Amino acid sequence: MVTAADPVNSRIEKFIDKAVAAGAEVIRLEGQGAAIAYLKIFLRDNDVRSFLVSPELKARPPFREEFIGALEMLPAGELWADAGIVAADFGVAETGTLVHFDRSDEEKNVWTLPEICFCLLDNGKIVQDLEAIAPELSSHLARTDLPSPQVSLVTGPSRTADIENELTIGVHGPSRLVILMI
Amino acid sequence: MKKIDPELKAVLRDFADSYRVKRAKALEGYDFEDLRTALADLKDRALERNPELLAQFEEKAKAHGGVVLRARDGDEANELILRICRDHGIRRMVKTKSMVSEEIGLNDFLIRRGVDVRETDLGEWIVQLGAERPTHMVMPAIHLTRGDVAALFSAKLGRPVPDDIPSLVRIARGEMRREIFAAQAGLTGANALIADTGAIMLVTNEGNGRLVTTVPPVHIVLASIEKVLPAIGDAIALLRLLPRNATGQSITSYVAFMAGPHRGPQYVILLDNHRSELLADLPFREILRCVKCSACLNVCPVYQVIGGEAYSHIYMGGIGTLLTAWIHGLRKAKDLAGLCLRCHRCEGSCAAKIKIADLITALAGRLRKETGAPAWKRAAFDGVMGHPGIQRAAFGTARKARKIVSGKDGFSRKLPAWMKKYDRFRALPAPAARSLSSLFRKDFVSAGAMENSAKGTVTIFGGCLVEHFYPEIGMAAARMLAKLGYRVKAAPALCCGFPPANAGFEKASRKAFASLLNRMELQGEIVTLCPTCATMLTKRGLELADSEKARELAAKTIPFSRFLLDRERESLEKLMRKERPVQKATYHDSCHHKHLSNAEGASRTLVEAALRSAIIEMEEPDRCCGFAGSFSVENPEISAALLADKLTAVEKTGADIVAMDCPGCLLQIRGGCRRRGMGLRAVHTAELLDQAIGED
Repeated sequence: MVTAADPVNSRIEKFIDKAVAAGAEVIRLEGQGAAIAYLKIFLRDNDVRSFLVSPELKARPPFREEFIGALEMLPAGELWADAGIVAADFGVAETGTLVHFDRSDEEKNVWTLPEICFCLLDNGKIVQDLEAIAPELSSHLARTDLPSPQVSLVTGPSRTADIENELTIGVHGPSRLVILMI
Repeated sequence: MKKIDPELKAVLRDFADSYRVKRAKALEGYDFEDLRTALADLKDRALERNPELLAQFEEKAKAHGGVVLRARDGDEANELILRICRDHGIRRMVKTKSMVSEEIGLNDFLIRRGVDVRETDLGEWIVQLGAERPTHMVMPAIHLTRGDVAALFSAKLGRPVPDDIPSLVRIARGEMRREIFAAQAGLTGANALIADTGAIMLVTNEGNGRLVTTVPPVHIVLASIEKVLPAIGDAIALLRLLPRNATGQSITSYVAFMAGPHRGPQYVILLDNHRSELLADLPFREILRCVKCSACLNVCPVYQVIGGEAYSHIYMGGIGTLLTAWIHGLRKAKDLAGLCLRCHRCEGSCAAKIKIADLITALAGRLRKETGAPAWKRAAFDGVMGHPGIQRAAFGTARKARKIVSGKDGFSRKLPAWMKKYDRFRALPAPAARSLSSLFRKDFVSAGAMENSAKGTVTIFGGCLVEHFYPEIGMAAARMLAKLGYRVKAAPALCCGFPPANAGFEKASRKAFASLLNRMELQGEIVTLCPTCATMLTKRGLELADSEKARELAAKTIPFSRFLLDRERESLEKLMRKERPVQKATYHDSCHHKHLSNAEGASRTLVEAALRSAIIEMEEPDRCCGFAGSFSVENPEISAALLADKLTAVEKTGADIVAMDCPGCLLQIRGGCRRRGMGLRAVHTAELLDQAIGED
């Protein structure tokens, strides 16, 4: 049984607190199946005309089968997508941050171009702080077999306070970041 | 002269207020001192190894397929970027915010040569649209209201736009995304270059960094050489403090570590622009620790009054003055250096522990040597302060003029016309009828009070203002110490040398300090009634005179309130009259008393004991009152604005008394109260304590 004193559980709770404080929404779900069901209901109930699935998820069952017709990137000439789904490699409890080891520009753009970004996060992948995964960060960035190794840290939706110091959401990136925690 | 725009001042003040709250919250649970000490150390180590780390970064970035180019100065960097544009047929470029690109004037350079350069940080985009200059390094458009922004957007789009902020952001979002998709190159700065992987770290909130680096085919990174850090762990340490200190966020929305090119070529331009000279120029090297968090601006009283456009060449505020001196030349820094109060408030919030105010004082010395100084300063510092004899004669003459200039209330009147601008916002005191040393000799010594020696000797160091304008403060302290059982002496009536040191007149300062040191008798402790003199006696003097006596003086000098609280708290309270009235007081933190002597806590305790009530804290008690010695002579408008804010803060408390520990602050605040017709009393802590004790 998991208790509040359990370090894994307290990391998860801290992650959720911090992510929500940064403006993200966190939905706790049983597993991948529940996440897919959640997304399908969302797509059905909302007027989602363009939906991007990150190439990495698109290659992974059961997403491959479930989102067979979904786009991986914006068609030429398009500037916007309504929604997108990505998966994070780690969560950082200290700041409520999602960590992603990017392997291509297309993948990066699924995090940035949609109005709503859904992100899958395995709650077993939540670490206390960035130091805990510094070796993984370093070795990913040192890879020369990838065209452009990048590590992205995303915390809450896109934000600005550039006009009158008033916090406003969704300037360049998504206005909603929904973390589907499984 | 700097004009004060009241609307801008109000906006900057609101911003500073909200920043303070957010920053404190973001740092909850962290030891700021530990974090910044670690950051300063790692930056120092990286600066020590700068050439080696740059070479390593270059090698690793090249291994990823990036092209690394070195630029000696701004012209070279601009030409390199233009060449990249020409080689790749780039007609449109989008940018994230980069102070380095502003440093070299990149936008103008490229635009004049046919490359359409667009900013994508919302604030920068707005500023570019309005052909304005940024007012803040992190918040460039902070000076514009939503109405101003709506007017700009209407003009650009040729249609009316609503002036609510979400709508404005929405409109900008659409326009900027079109511009990003139409661009052939994206240019970013770098918050860090990571040597062991050849990666850059880029920190943004809006997400423009991701779009600018992935949508256009060519990515150009423009970074200055001091950004290089050894490894990812160092970048993580920087990341823990940078957003917390910059905007009061735990982390920014987007942080990217990128190694090598994306779908097209990547160029990394490493700009020196005199930074190598700065690396070799101790003690100024620590300027390069700066991580551009702007925390120093957010707490700077002068910045809060005049904003970043007035207080900059390119880089803003105190740290900007220092960077300007090396990057754009000493002459460009000359006027800026005069805008620093040397209040040291910024140093308490600097993420990299840069001694900004001390370095500006050191810079003032270089400026004076290389660019000269105005006649009045030469006369005051070289002519008067550097020569004890002339000093005495000058004050003697002023005292003789007393009958002409003095009103009955202790303030001057009938001042010459040229002094009016200094007298308008605060009534200036008249010279005292008798100096402290004369009063002390005649009334105190002759009365035999100094012969009481049960507890040893204490020397009172009043400083020039107490000596010549407020001797009653010195006499109050003397009476109290005698009652407590000390044999009391008065220090020689000589300038400690601080004012010339502050203005860059090192020789005059050295001379003044040497004369004083020569005549000081070091029996027992030396208690100071002026925090600025205390700084000179305990710290600055040691840099001017490396002698056993200077060290002894430093070790024996202690602020008056600290001395009393440490040694005599109980005896002092016993001495106080039982029937003394309960009075409401507020306390003004004198800059050097708080930021350099850390003695404000002792003073507060004593004030509360004397008045039998808790201090009613004013808003920002440690914000400078605007006196700051020669600052108020050189910048009377800013001095007046700071004083007005201080008086308003004092007034809001509803206190009967405002207490403080610096005779300079007293001159400013007492004179300001007089001009504003405020009923409350402005007093030195020593006077309050003396009144609580009363006559024998």
